[in-house]
Amino acid sequence: MTVAETGVGDAGALFVDELTVLGVRHHGPGSARSVLAALEEIGPDAVVIEGPPELDALVAYVGDPGLVPPVAALAYVVDDPRRAAFYPFASFSPEWVALRWAVEHGVPVQFADLPATHFLAPGASRGDGSRHRPRSAYARDPIGTLASLAGYDDAERWWEDAVEHRYGPSSSSVDDGSGGSVLAGFAAIGEAMAQIRAADEADIAAQDEDGAGADEENLVREAAMRKVLRAVLKSGRQRVVMVCGAYHAPALSLDAFPTAAHDNRLLAKRPKVKVRATWAPWTAGRLATESGYGAGVTSPGWYEHLFTTWQHDGPDGVAHSWLVKVARELRAQRFDADPASVVEATRLATTLAAVRGRPAVGLPELTEATQAVLCDGAVLPLRLVHRNLVVGQALGEVPPSVPVVPLMADLTRQQKALRLKVSASTTTVELDLRRDAGRDRSRLLHRLRLLDIAWGAPQETGTTLGTFREAWKLRWDPELAVSVVEAGLYGTTVVAAAAAKARDLAGRTSDLGRLAEMVERCLTADLGDALDEVVAALGRATAQQHDVSALLSAVEPLARTRRYGDVRRVDTDAVLGVARTVVARASVGLRAACHGLDDDAAGELRLRLDAAHRGVSLLHGEAEVGEAMSEQWHRALHGVAEDDGAPGLVSGRITRLLLDAGEISGAEAAVRLSRRLSPAVPAPEAAAWLDGFVDGDVLLLLHDDDVLDIVDSWVEGLDESAFEDLLPLLRRSFSRFSGVERDQVGRRLRSGAHRSGARAWWGAAGGAGAWLPGGAEDPGRLGESSADEADAAADSGDLAASVGDEAAATGLLPAEEVAALHALARWMGREVAS
Amino acid sequence: MSDDVQDTSGGQVLRERAEQAYAGELAALAAQDEHPRPPQWRLSPWAVTTYLMGGTLPDGTEISPKYVGSRRLIEVAVSSLVTDRALLLLGVPGTAKTWVAEHLAAAVSGDSGLVVQGTAGTPEESLRYGWNYARLLSEGPTRDALVPSPVMRAMESGALVRVEELTRIPADVQDALISILSEKSLPIPEIRAEVQARRGFNVIATANNRDKGVNDLSSALKRRFNTVILPLPDTLEDEVQIVRSRVEQLGASLELPTQLQSLAEVERVVTIFRELRSGATTDRRTTLKSPSATLSTAEAISVMTNGVALAAHFGDGAVSADDVAAGLVGAIVKDPVADAVVWGEYLETVVKDRPEWRDLYRACRDLAGT
Repeated sequence: MTVAETGVGDAGALFVDELTVLGVRHHGPGSARSVLAALEEIGPDAVVIEGPPELDALVAYVGDPGLVPPVAALAYVVDDPRRAAFYPFASFSPEWVALRWAVEHGVPVQFADLPATHFLAPGASRGDGSRHRPRSAYARDPIGTLASLAGYDDAERWWEDAVEHRYGPSSSSVDDGSGGSVLAGFAAIGEAMAQIRAADEADIAAQDEDGAGADEENLVREAAMRKVLRAVLKSGRQRVVMVCGAYHAPALSLDAFPTAAHDNRLLAKRPKVKVRATWAPWTAGRLATESGYGAGVTSPGWYEHLFTTWQHDGPDGVAHSWLVKVARELRAQRFDADPASVVEATRLATTLAAVRGRPAVGLPELTEATQAVLCDGAVLPLRLVHRNLVVGQALGEVPPSVPVVPLMADLTRQQKALRLKVSASTTTVELDLRRDAGRDRSRLLHRLRLLDIAWGAPQETGTTLGTFREAWKLRWDPELAVSVVEAGLYGTTVVAAAAAKARDLAGRTSDLGRLAEMVERCLTADLGDALDEVVAALGRATAQQHDVSALLSAVEPLARTRRYGDVRRVDTDAVLGVARTVVARASVGLRAACHGLDDDAAGELRLRLDAAHRGVSLLHGEAEVGEAMSEQWHRALHGVAEDDGAPGLVSGRITRLLLDAGEISGAEAAVRLSRRLSPAVPAPEAAAWLDGFVDGDVLLLLHDDDVLDIVDSWVEGLDESAFEDLLPLLRRSFSRFSGVERDQVGRRLRSGAHRSGARAWWGAAGGAGAWLPGGAEDPGRLGESSADEADAAADSGDLAASVGDEAAATGLLPAEEVAALHALARWMGREVAS
Repeated sequence: MSDDVQDTSGGQVLRERAEQAYAGELAALAAQDEHPRPPQWRLSPWAVTTYLMGGTLPDGTEISPKYVGSRRLIEVAVSSLVTDRALLLLGVPGTAKTWVAEHLAAAVSGDSGLVVQGTAGTPEESLRYGWNYARLLSEGPTRDALVPSPVMRAMESGALVRVEELTRIPADVQDALISILSEKSLPIPEIRAEVQARRGFNVIATANNRDKGVNDLSSALKRRFNTVILPLPDTLEDEVQIVRSRVEQLGASLELPTQLQSLAEVERVVTIFRELRSGATTDRRTTLKSPSATLSTAEAISVMTNGVALAAHFGDGAVSADDVAAGLVGAIVKDPVADAVVWGEYLETVVKDRPEWRDLYRACRDLAGT
């Protein structure tokens, strides 16, 4: 209460004075509205806004209809654009409102703060915003602090209730003092801030034993603001308005001004760099606190709505027009949201506000009303509303006349230099990585991909198997401008941003597969420094990783990096070192990891084993390191293959890998196959083993008589019921081959090297019908071929017609197929017996 | 028969209505309520919310919390009633839907007795009106021969009527509510009259959103309701508090000497229910199978009440593991095959490994006869 009263007392002095300080909440629509009212009331002849003086150059563009908020003023160091600071403006930001007002009324407007030339300079206390995100221009939310002191969860709400609606304990004194002038509100805020500052300073003093003053930065900034204000006043302006963060307001009132010498001393001897400023389009999502923006607000879309509705319809229109928007959004997402319900939702929201004793409907009431009336109590549709309306999808625009974001400038420069045409239609480029031009282009495209600037999409090169070719599809969408701005948060040149993002991503994950993939991406994008860091991160993660499966997935990308690194002329010794560790650790743990797996996990492990094996094979050529690695890996594979406790799928796959690598002979493989497929082994387990074993290259079956022989005689040795049980699994194993390949295997079986019985199971297992007795020539779909086979067999007159009863019993396959299979099985039995 | 009813109304009833049990609190609230009241409301919306959520009045009267959970939900529910939109309380069994509805009716209208229990056999007469056939035959269709439903009585008196288990009512009967909710009138064509609802009339319906094979609301009807979903209690502490206070109340009305000074037994039962419900132990270390039973808070209450009764009549008065074990198994094992496996696994992997739960483990094993 005393705060407000003294506020009024001081306010009287302030009004007649030449300087009025409007302490605002950054991006607060309530503040914006009050600022507008205050400007109208005072009619200043100069407006000063918190922000580095470098932004003065941007004022010229504010009147341009092409400049549509949300936009951000960006100040960056010319020689080292990685040092940069963003100052976002939304249409509901008080600073933007003041800017527009001044420009529209022809009133001179300028910025006042510590010049960017100082705080962006190397060696300045901070401003190294390049690492993850640029420094947030405004770090504090003192109005939020006041609001939470008053028991409010939303600062806008409190501002609305306490300032706009003159509601609450301070209302009487404010109204008495000024007859409802909006300026009294600002004066009261200023006084309240003075109290908060005093409390803060006490806090700092209590925490800092040495009294170094952690808040020195604020003191310097305020000194700089005062310096500008003095100059403006000196130039003869009569009614100056300063718009700044509420926290600074107490330090900027004229009677609180220290001597000019005091401020100059604070500002003396600061390092300097050359700084340039520009406008960049911004998005509502980036204004939201969720995106990590320090001075962000929780609901830009809602604030925008508040501000525009207040301006056009006054506070009464807020609730129903918002709910109409919500209903339209829900309808667009195919939820029923009829106009009658919107009326009911409005009534509910209004009543809720009344029940809660709030002077006006706020976002919480509207959201709850939406949930209860429009969404049948469900939460899910509300998320849509949150994303599309509460945060909003607004995207700012910047006229072409404005100098562009440094990243964009860098990108445009490179696009020109590399003669990559920017076009809205799709074009395909083929790059030869052996040439400098091709490599440079590939590098740029890979870097952009890493930055999520989806200009180019890599294509399969098709017939060329060489590693020196790449094909890309290029298409420039207007939205990519936003991606560039977002990527601009990581840095101001393509290479710096890509490197920063790679580091950022690597720093945030400990997943080996992801890290190994990052290594590969760093390599293709030629990010030498970042590559070292990512490899180091991978090394650390390897040391902590006990999950063999994760280790396995890291092998192949690392191997590819090492193997193809030299095409791109990158030093990859460190990668080889890490790859060695990964393979060693994976080898040691492999056998244990193969135990206790269910079918899904075994399938997953099989894929990773394949990938890791490819990786190890790639590295085999690496002098003694590669050989040692291969040896270790193969030893581990042997261990698993000989372990009867390993799941069939994995064990079968490993046997195949070892066979292909020449580690075991065909005869040895045959012995293992025979053992794993022997009758004592449960049939599903045996079939899984076979599945793992035959998957992949059909050439093995075609050219290794032993293998096909053993598979063949195993199948023949099955009794009828086991055969029926296994048939689906068999078919699954063999159906992975293409029709032609199945045909080839079928031909081999027919070629006489095998007993005729073999043909039958092959047909049933999904091979081709070409070689069946009766000569049905249909290598087509499995079902058809089975049916044909059945017909053929029936034609040959060897079959009893009694299979029909049993046909439907298994239920696994369509009835006619079951019938066919029965027929074949019987026929096979006859053949074998004879 | 009517004499008997009057005899037992003097404090001997098994369960008092909300407005009787909390008459003192309601009177205190009414006396000190300075907020504006909607027409026909006994209390202001603010006071209704306070009655449900609990609080302390300016003169120091303690209002006990009836609903433990989010104040936001109750505010939405009360506001719905103010806007004369019907209120639909959804939730799995045992999330206090009926309880909240009853207390809302008691606080708003001072009468929680106007209720239609929804069943598969609920006829249209219980939502509209029926006839006293003897009089209908002798006098013809007159107003006196009419038997009004609770809904009709609520319309005439401007009170809240509750419809329990709305989704159990056959769809064609449900639709009788549509005209009542939108026109706020009930035509009686037989005597060429209609009943127009007085201000203050509204409907609170409850429905279970877990049951399958029930009659889903038509969208026409759904549009006439504001929906509030009552969730299961968020935290263990909330749930323990709910169970304890309800068991104590029930114990008092059954004249059981309830001794729940040690919260341990309540906490244990609630923990078991929450763990089985969520499919993981509280420390998130072990994954569990969930049984087919809902395992709501209401069931935890009945397990505890059962335990209290056992302890009072067959034990030493203090609730022990033996007393809750039987109820616990009965509540969890609904399907004798599948649920028994789930419970057996839980017993062996979780209960057995908690040293302080050894007595419970033994009690449950004894019960299983192994």
